[in-house]
Amino acid sequence: MNASLDVVIGIWKGLFANILAEPAIFIGLIVLVGYILMHKPLHECFSGFIKATVGFFIMQVGSSGLVSNFRPFLVGLKDRFDLQAAVLDPYFGFNAVNAGFAKMGWTTSLIMLALLVAFLWNILLVAFHRITKVRTLFITGHVMLQQATTGLWLIFIGVPLMQNSIWGVITCGILVGTYWAVFSNLTVEATQDLTENAGFAVGHQQMLSVWITHKIGARIGNKKRSVEHLELPGFLQIFNDNVVATSTLMLIFFGAILVVLGPDYLASHKFYNPQGGEWFIKYMFKTTIQFAVYLYVLSAGVRMFVAEMTESFKGISDKILKGSLPAIDCAAIYGFDAANGNSILFGFLFGAFGQFAAVMGLIIFHSPVLIIPGFVPMFFDNATVGVFANHKGGFRAVVIVCFLSGVIQVLGGALAAGAFGLAQYGGWHGNFDWDTLWPCIGWMIQNFGSLAIGAVILLMLLIPQLQYLFNKPKYFASTDTAEASN
Amino acid sequence: MLKVIAACGNGMGTSQIIKMKISNVFKRLGVPADVAHMSVGEAKSQAGNYDVVFCSESLMNNFRATAKTRVVGLKNLLSEQEIEDKLKAAGIV
Repeated sequence: MNASLDVVIGIWKGLFANILAEPAIFIGLIVLVGYILMHKPLHECFSGFIKATVGFFIMQVGSSGLVSNFRPFLVGLKDRFDLQAAVLDPYFGFNAVNAGFAKMGWTTSLIMLALLVAFLWNILLVAFHRITKVRTLFITGHVMLQQATTGLWLIFIGVPLMQNSIWGVITCGILVGTYWAVFSNLTVEATQDLTENAGFAVGHQQMLSVWITHKIGARIGNKKRSVEHLELPGFLQIFNDNVVATSTLMLIFFGAILVVLGPDYLASHKFYNPQGGEWFIKYMFKTTIQFAVYLYVLSAGVRMFVAEMTESFKGISDKILKGSLPAIDCAAIYGFDAANGNSILFGFLFGAFGQFAAVMGLIIFHSPVLIIPGFVPMFFDNATVGVFANHKGGFRAVVIVCFLSGVIQVLGGALAAGAFGLAQYGGWHGNFDWDTLWPCIGWMIQNFGSLAIGAVILLMLLIPQLQYLFNKPKYFASTDTAEASN
Repeated sequence: MLKVIAACGNGMGTSQIIKMKISNVFKRLGVPADVAHMSVGEAKSQAGNYDVVFCSESLMNNFRATAKTRVVGLKNLLSEQEIEDKLKAAGIV
């Protein structure tokens, strides 16, 4: 009897250590199951499994590169100025949580499991849309990965009882899945208005600011004075290329930090080796540009496995859900910019001004956490609200909304990175919802534990009910037409 | 086999969606096609090896169409109708 029990436990331990605790293999298997459920041919199932697994391993290569590249900065700032620094970027945030998980000895496979639970919960909420009033299914894979990651961190550090446990994972899944469903549902009216009923909603990281912009845009500006006729310097086009954009930002901000730390300090800690004849300026250039290199590797890996994951998820949801709206990447609205892309660049520009101003503020007022602006929140959040702002309120609305959005991103991000212990690992999620809504949720969890999680979920579920109450006749019109054209 | 790129700013979410829609259209039309997705930066350097580049209208000016490589700008990335119409208008299918 005991012997056979030992065998079972042995097998379980083996499964756990080799599959469940190995996120790359685990995500590969999730994709595989999805493809099998879709009745894909065997060779496609196999290639899906391989690409998801290889993609995840590639991502880990980029990830560990970023961590080691970061060391001189984190050590130096802590040592010389007692400062912590966090890059405001979802990938740096993702990296920071992974570093935190490793330090605490938690397995990151739990993140994949939380993601899966959240996705299934979102499907459930849409399937019962007559009751829940949820019309949208969130399918932006790489964003789902980042959000499940930060969400799980907030729960694990906030509720000790749930740490590294399946209950924490399920709770996170329901919390994050509710956020996906409710907040992407909140963007339906704004997106349908902008795109003249193109049949999708925004499923990204700034859904709250999209909703706010849509509501206040007309009041703070004039739609007729669009940014369409304003000329922008042509060189801004280079920021369409994310490698150039990231390298430039990192060169400016990390370069400035290296100069402040100084060659003597860096040499005395063996980060920089002047004896070998290396110029400081070359050391600076190479070190900062490496961030773009590792970020590129990391996102190549994410792209590879997320492509498989999205396809497998989409297959599952298409089978179950007819007539719901997909909530997709914010960049999908860029083609609908009435100003032919001008709102995107202006939004980015004023968002960047807002972020720079707020960073100056952090330095002047001696904030214990220094924020380094990352490209993703700076560009994608502000370009997105820029398009919505121009649509409702023209140039004036773009300037006001995007500048404020940039300021809020940095201040909220600095608070969150410090409060949730991720500044020590050098990153915070950083997109708008994660500098506003989620720090509030995280704070509640830290102070009121699992009770707060339940309350937050219920409060969020109330939002679509209120939307429905105020817009009964037209509320399901958008999904009904989607159903007809499917 | 037609070689096709779907491109977007970051090469993540949007191009993945376009890719799935394009694949559907080609499958329905019975045209064999190999569709990859990537960022605009990567697509720019690789476009010469492909027959068609799809991207959002706002990103079209990043690409130069040649005799071999056609560039198709999309307004609604989710509309298979638009993809089909524009493929036909460009004489690709």
